[in-house]
Amino acid sequence: MSTNDPIARGLASGWNVIDARKLTSNQTVEADVVVIGTGAGGGTTAEILAKQGLSVILVEEGGLYYQKDFKMDEQASYAALYQEGMSRTTADGAIAILQGRCVGGSTTVNWTSSFRTPPETLTYWSQKFGLDGLAPESMAPWFQGREERHTMAPWQTDPNLNNDILRQGCDALGYSWQIIPRNVKGCWNSGYCGVGCPTNAKQGALLTTIPGALDNKAQMFHGLRAERLVMNQDRIDHLQASAMGADGVTPSGITITLKANHFVVAASAIGSPGLLLRSELPDPYQRIGKRSFIHPVNATVARMPSKVDPFYGAPQSIYSDEFNFKHGIDGPVGYKLEVPPLHPGMAAGVVPGHGKGQLNNLSKLPWTQSVIALLRDGFHPESPGGTVTLRDDGSPILDYPVTDYLWKGIRQAYLNMAEIQFAAGAEAVQAVHLDSGWYSNWNEAKAAIQELPMKPHRARLFTAHQMGGCSMGSNPEESVVNGFGEHHHVANLSIHDASVFPTSIGANPQLSVYALAARNSVRLAQRLTAKS
Amino acid sequence: MLDKPQNQTADNKTGQSRRSFLKTSFGGALLLGTISVSAGLSGCATAPAGRVSAVGSRMNASYQFQFLSKDDIALFEALLPAMLAGALPEEPNQQQFAIADTLERIDQGIVKFGAPNQKELRKLFDLLNFAPTRVTLARVWSDWPAVTTQEADAFLNRWRSSRIGLLNNGYMALSKITNVAFYGHESHWHLTGYPGPPAWMVDSLPQFQNA
Repeated sequence: MSTNDPIARGLASGWNVIDARKLTSNQTVEADVVVIGTGAGGGTTAEILAKQGLSVILVEEGGLYYQKDFKMDEQASYAALYQEGMSRTTADGAIAILQGRCVGGSTTVNWTSSFRTPPETLTYWSQKFGLDGLAPESMAPWFQGREERHTMAPWQTDPNLNNDILRQGCDALGYSWQIIPRNVKGCWNSGYCGVGCPTNAKQGALLTTIPGALDNKAQMFHGLRAERLVMNQDRIDHLQASAMGADGVTPSGITITLKANHFVVAASAIGSPGLLLRSELPDPYQRIGKRSFIHPVNATVARMPSKVDPFYGAPQSIYSDEFNFKHGIDGPVGYKLEVPPLHPGMAAGVVPGHGKGQLNNLSKLPWTQSVIALLRDGFHPESPGGTVTLRDDGSPILDYPVTDYLWKGIRQAYLNMAEIQFAAGAEAVQAVHLDSGWYSNWNEAKAAIQELPMKPHRARLFTAHQMGGCSMGSNPEESVVNGFGEHHHVANLSIHDASVFPTSIGANPQLSVYALAARNSVRLAQRLTAKS
Repeated sequence: MLDKPQNQTADNKTGQSRRSFLKTSFGGALLLGTISVSAGLSGCATAPAGRVSAVGSRMNASYQFQFLSKDDIALFEALLPAMLAGALPEEPNQQQFAIADTLERIDQGIVKFGAPNQKELRKLFDLLNFAPTRVTLARVWSDWPAVTTQEADAFLNRWRSSRIGLLNNGYMALSKITNVAFYGHESHWHLTGYPGPPAWMVDSLPQFQNA
């Protein structure tokens, strides 16, 4: 294996990394801070705290996978790198949830889109949730700092045709479009971001903050599930954790006790509320797990006259915000338009069908283009979000009812996306919906989409962005943590991930998570080093 | 402040009472939970099949099934010719090999789903394997080994077009698992026109060397 790989090199140099799947006896370990989760929030936190000289232990349920494992293979990657082997859905099964489960979290498998939190969103938060400290001008330096740390910049290479069709359609109709900033360094423009970057170009947590933390003596356990934070009087005393067995998903029976002065939870918008609920932490106003947001996603597919090859090239490079804030921040739901990459497994799983019809659709994959709409949920009384609760076995599950308000936006988005695809020259367009046929022109599509039933299961919905469930806010009756991620009721607990967002973001959330975690970790480091 | 009572999907208000029982995961889980217990009591094979004899099945005798039971395998052997119509090889031996390969990958995939989703799938498969529910909910009259490709296709279409969300969900689960296991595999990429990872990358990346 290449000695140029930074993870392989770090491991060889003596990083303190433990594969919990290989442990054969129970252990107790101790540090200044235990950080639960190694994604955008956990990685950032661990690096900043470790650089301030604090001893840090990182806990990750998924495995440590890196370049040697990233072989551009969908099946292997979906099984190993995604939550529930890519089978995670909302409670009723109607919305597929794409979420990372590995060192680096979702940043290891995301499509590299790197947006600042829209100023409209930050302003709304300061007005509605008392988060004055997060106003756009206060957050700007934090965004800038993280853009540098993760090498984020607008994509300089020409977009692939899959993305360019979104640009062409928007141009033809007079809709705005922009180039997407991406967190890559020396990108090969290959299109495999979603299965683990094979070239080490993606500057996610895996190649930035995780090595940064480990270089500064942090310890990392992977294959270790955080089960329960255990209180002693008014403080968390320790974390109880279960090692996974050889398959990576079934506990082996080995348990680890992690003691610390402070605990940072960054286990995702499903995992973090799950952990807090399992731990039965103080929650006098029953806010844990509430107001969970997902940027509900719907899609259309188009058949183009020339080859699109939607499996090759930077997966996301063009977006349109034409409809995102069109009706203001809290009017009819806004949505961002983007493009998904389509590899055969993903395409076959996402576009519903079987038999000869399915084969016929899939056989035209090289000519297939797709547009997705990401709905900005949580800004309207009729978009209260979903709820994370626990199953009987203690695992978290998200119930997300799609309200009429959202259905209206979903229908409107189908219409906009189809119109854009026809304007870019599509020969036929299909809504990704069980009742949609292929429409051969815009008028036909428009009439048919107006009649499609907007119902769970019929409309195929997805989410790659999970947010909320441990909302931040100034009022403890309405939130779980304050604007610094500090728990309202437990002094030595912080939450540093997307679960603290009080609404959705209105853009792909990784930079929002990085920036807020950086800001709150700098403050936490000051607090903790002043004490010791 | 912004919180409101949930579940106001008023699109579904008409004719909701009967459907909503099956539609909500609560009703669904309740129903399916009962079936899982009955299926176990009535002698349905719900234990992982382990090694399956190669004779007749075309299975790789060294593969150890970790989730799919013998009944699940019979179910998928009946469904796959309809699910993958036109995509499976026509030559009977070749077709059986392709089905057996796909079954192994389905099994491997489900292992990584983890316990909670495995439990959901167990309920779905038991429902389809337990004769009384197979007849009433799937309207499939014979045991799966006797089901023709045409009948299997009709069943899939019924669940796909059903107005009952839970059955749509069952269709999606069966088709998604099969589609990803089949079309996502290298040996079937050609059917989608996907050439695979670019050769120039495979040739120059360290993870593909000295494999």
